[in-house]
Amino acid sequence: MPRLSRPSLSALALMAGMGLALPAAADSVITWGKPAEITGFDVHVAGTVASWEMYQMVYETLLTTDDDLALQPGLAVAWEEESPTRFVFTLREGAAFSNGRPVSAEDVIGSLERIRNPEIASYWAHQLGEIVTMEVLEDGRLAVELARPHASFLPALAHITAAIIPVEEYHTGDFDPASQLMGSGPFMVAAHDQDERWTLVRNPHYGIDSLPRADRIDVQIIPDESARMAALRDGRIDFTTFENPDAPQMLGSTASIAYAPIQTTNYYRFDVNALSEASPFHDIRVRQAMNLALDRDAINMLVFNGTSAPDFPVPAAFGNDACRDLDTYALPRAERLDRARALLAEAGQPNPQVELMASSANEVLVRIAQVTQQSLAEAGFDVQIAAVPTAEYLQRVFTDGDFDFSASWLAGYTDPGMVIQWWDPNFAIWNLAFQAEVPELSALLAELRGLPNSPERDAALIEACEMIDDGANLLALVSKVDYVVYRADQIEVTLAERTGSANIWQHIAEFAPAE
Amino acid sequence: MRLVAYLLPRIAAALITLFGVSLLVFLSLRLLPGGYADILLGPFVTPEARAIIAQRYGLDQPLVVQYMRWAGAMLSGDFGVSMVTQRPVIAEFLRRAPVTLQLALIALGVALAAGYPLGVLSGVRAGAQRKKRDFGRLVGAMGASVPDFVLGSVLIFVFSVWSLWFRVGGYVPFTADPVGNIRSMMLPGLTLSVFGVALILRTTRDAVLRVMTEPHITAAVARGASPGTIIRRHILRNAAIPVVTVTATYFGFLLGGAVIVEVLFSIPGVGLYIFNGLLNRDYAIVQAGVLLAAVVFITINMLADILYALIDPRVGAVR
Amino acid sequence: MTARLLKTRRLDGLSLFGLITLGILLFLGIFGPLLPLGDPTRIAAGPRLDAPSPHFPFGTDELGRDFLPRVVQGIRATFLLSAIAVAITAVIGTLLGLMAGYLGRTTDQAIARGADILFAFPALVAGLLVAAVIGPGQVSAITVISIATLPLFIRVVRSVTLGVAGRGFVTAAEVAGASALRVMLVHLLPNVMGAVMVQLTYALSIGMIIESALSFLGLGVQPPDASLGSLLRQGSGYLTIAPWMVLSAGVVLSLAIMSVNLVGDAVRDALEPLKGRPLT
Repeated sequence: MPRLSRPSLSALALMAGMGLALPAAADSVITWGKPAEITGFDVHVAGTVASWEMYQMVYETLLTTDDDLALQPGLAVAWEEESPTRFVFTLREGAAFSNGRPVSAEDVIGSLERIRNPEIASYWAHQLGEIVTMEVLEDGRLAVELARPHASFLPALAHITAAIIPVEEYHTGDFDPASQLMGSGPFMVAAHDQDERWTLVRNPHYGIDSLPRADRIDVQIIPDESARMAALRDGRIDFTTFENPDAPQMLGSTASIAYAPIQTTNYYRFDVNALSEASPFHDIRVRQAMNLALDRDAINMLVFNGTSAPDFPVPAAFGNDACRDLDTYALPRAERLDRARALLAEAGQPNPQVELMASSANEVLVRIAQVTQQSLAEAGFDVQIAAVPTAEYLQRVFTDGDFDFSASWLAGYTDPGMVIQWWDPNFAIWNLAFQAEVPELSALLAELRGLPNSPERDAALIEACEMIDDGANLLALVSKVDYVVYRADQIEVTLAERTGSANIWQHIAEFAPAE
Repeated sequence: MRLVAYLLPRIAAALITLFGVSLLVFLSLRLLPGGYADILLGPFVTPEARAIIAQRYGLDQPLVVQYMRWAGAMLSGDFGVSMVTQRPVIAEFLRRAPVTLQLALIALGVALAAGYPLGVLSGVRAGAQRKKRDFGRLVGAMGASVPDFVLGSVLIFVFSVWSLWFRVGGYVPFTADPVGNIRSMMLPGLTLSVFGVALILRTTRDAVLRVMTEPHITAAVARGASPGTIIRRHILRNAAIPVVTVTATYFGFLLGGAVIVEVLFSIPGVGLYIFNGLLNRDYAIVQAGVLLAAVVFITINMLADILYALIDPRVGAVR
Repeated sequence: MTARLLKTRRLDGLSLFGLITLGILLFLGIFGPLLPLGDPTRIAAGPRLDAPSPHFPFGTDELGRDFLPRVVQGIRATFLLSAIAVAITAVIGTLLGLMAGYLGRTTDQAIARGADILFAFPALVAGLLVAAVIGPGQVSAITVISIATLPLFIRVVRSVTLGVAGRGFVTAAEVAGASALRVMLVHLLPNVMGAVMVQLTYALSIGMIIESALSFLGLGVQPPDASLGSLLRQGSGYLTIAPWMVLSAGVVLSLAIMSVNLVGDAVRDALEPLKGRPLT
């Protein structure tokens, strides 16, 4: 017979639920319809948005970003760049983990150390640059020393993967990051039934007056879009997100349902395999022809009903024009098609056969693939679509490099200097399997890493854009907009106009039931 | 004693079947492209990180070793740990089993309540009227022809556009909110039941038709017994045997987890757990789920066989 | 077989309805590509999500494709894949069933256990596993259908073979020195054909359900090609504003399965009649 060493989870949930249910009348509760369950508990390891969104309720990062994607205080109320390689952070007074223990400089150092520990396998390690020393200073301050200047160090600290965990409890074994969530954020986990619901309650030690405004968040996991819409219409959930641009139309014109598109620095992209000799895209001319023949406007009109816009290697959301004048964007389509055909003829492959791969879990990507298939055919491409399970897509693209090109989307993060680094595969790491290294481009990008925002940097970005476009190895398609939908009659929300790290709920502490 | 002699070879066969199922599910999972490391780390997976994760979950061992470890642990009641949550999968199966059981019972209840009487009626009338205006047959044909995901989609459409008491999704446990539970479970339950209605209706109808050709019915008719008496005394009892078998098979099928319906209606049952486990390459969940489903299926079929042998002693003698 | 079917003159209204529907659907499936319906994969043939109109009788989909030719293409894919799969399975299943029933002993045990294993494995999970291992597409759809329907053929053919194997003509052939293969193919096969025919139609309807279920879950035919299941998947994302997608594909799929079932019933009634009788 199977042993049951611990009480069943639902019993715990029930107990927690009853314990909370008694004073519930006075509690303010908001309900979140979450489209997907987390893929793992470890905040330093999991690389999926579905996980990040939950972590953002529980954990804090040293820094965050404002509506203009500029850095602003998080767990650190102040930070000082003493030299290009030395940073001093001052922690917020009164910040505490949900068990009541104040957040200390040791927690910050231990968390960053854990991210850098190869045993933990955190993908964020290289984003932080090479940290040489970290030391505790007096008055809740700490200093971090880098080996060399690394412009993305501070922006990297604003991403949830750089969350600060209670390191003391981690070392004593009272906290297991691989199966628990415990942070200094506005909420803590009271109960969790996998694939079904989470109950988050206020972190009583959050330490910022009168926040969070809600006492409890009931989280319902509702992957099916129609079911999520029905729940919103019934008022069973207060807020949720949709990727489908037709969602507002589908929800109908109900006065109580409000709808907020959030601009992000993320965009849909194609990864093109320049490294595999088995792929026609091994020939740079075939890649360039494909880039020219793409019809980004058609993708916007047909897949996004005109709500998105063509996007650029340096995301449009940054308001930087670096890549706008490239032929890829500026020339009329007929002319681009002519040039694409000429390039294919020159390459001796007038009708290259290529496979376009996408995860079948994301219908938007599959639609982009179908529009692309048709527009590339006009230049002579014969595109086959392979919509495969997510795990297979990930392995074939990012580990095996066994594909021609694939559709996905890319997180633009919070700084143009950060996102553009993806075109240096040795820095980005994740695209090593298919991205060709261009030494001049890598050198330019390395230079950009040290450059602050200035006309000099803008000039360098324009130069980088030209090289990026010329390589046609990783293509920006159209902007990715997140659609937040909520019941205006049931909840008051505070939303950022623009986000850079998939943190659309960064103001969750200010959500509250409507009066 | 005869029962033991009857059962022993069946149990032996069942064990061999289970061994085969376990081997099959284990191997096919390892053949799947992509693994949990891909799901967890997304594009950021590096060969080093992959190796660390493989080592963390014992996936770096030779397949034989992995299989032996899993099989050994399972024999001692340890079904493994989910890679996503780090929790024992058996606890999660036990938590979800009541959900799937409730769905199965709703579907089975509706199927029996509608299918059996209609089947009897249809069988008797078919005999009497030579299949004219055979309503039962129409229902049977329709029920067996509308796939659950078609019916489910249509129900979702109807019930999400108009607020009609029943809910699409939004499962709550019965203990927490009985009314809410019924509101959210009826649509998926009905969706699942339609195939069952058709199945039981057809089986009952055929059984009734078969029984009616037997001499003792002719004798009863000749004796001048009323149709009601004939149906009650002679037909219902004799027609019950195949219905029992089919009901059992259907129930076993339902308990295996109605994957599509649970996915469609976001019902956190066993089927959804296995489905997500498969997408996440969370091996322990799929392995345990398939094996448990096979155990339930085999057990229920064996119970039906025994019941069958008890109702009709000839069966035991033949084999 | 058709002649025999018609000769029985027991074709009631429902069976006739099934036969006619099946005929129409088969016609559309086979000659669909030749009909002047338009290109099923042509994007932006009309506005997005346009309601049914004289110009687009089944409306358009989310990429502005005419949905009518897509449904016709779906009929073709769903029928064709299931038919191929069931034909292959029928041959393999019949051979295995004959071997199990006639050769007996170890062969029988091995085949029966194999069939049990396939039977006990939850069908849809097996389908998902196989489709994911092989990779989504037509080959995996055919494989999944074959695996799911194989035990049906094995079981039925085996039990019929067991009943026939002891009869005089089989013994006579054995005495005359016929090889086991010859006995199975020449003497036993004709006797199991009736049962195989009945199973064939059921397997076909199961195959259609499985193919569409796989496509519905995104593991069937690859876009932009359509099967009835993939059209349902496509439409289920737009149920509230474009219900014509799910409704047209759903109704056609249900009709297709129903017509196969009804014709199957008629075949079975013709081959193994169950005569009812009046109770008064």
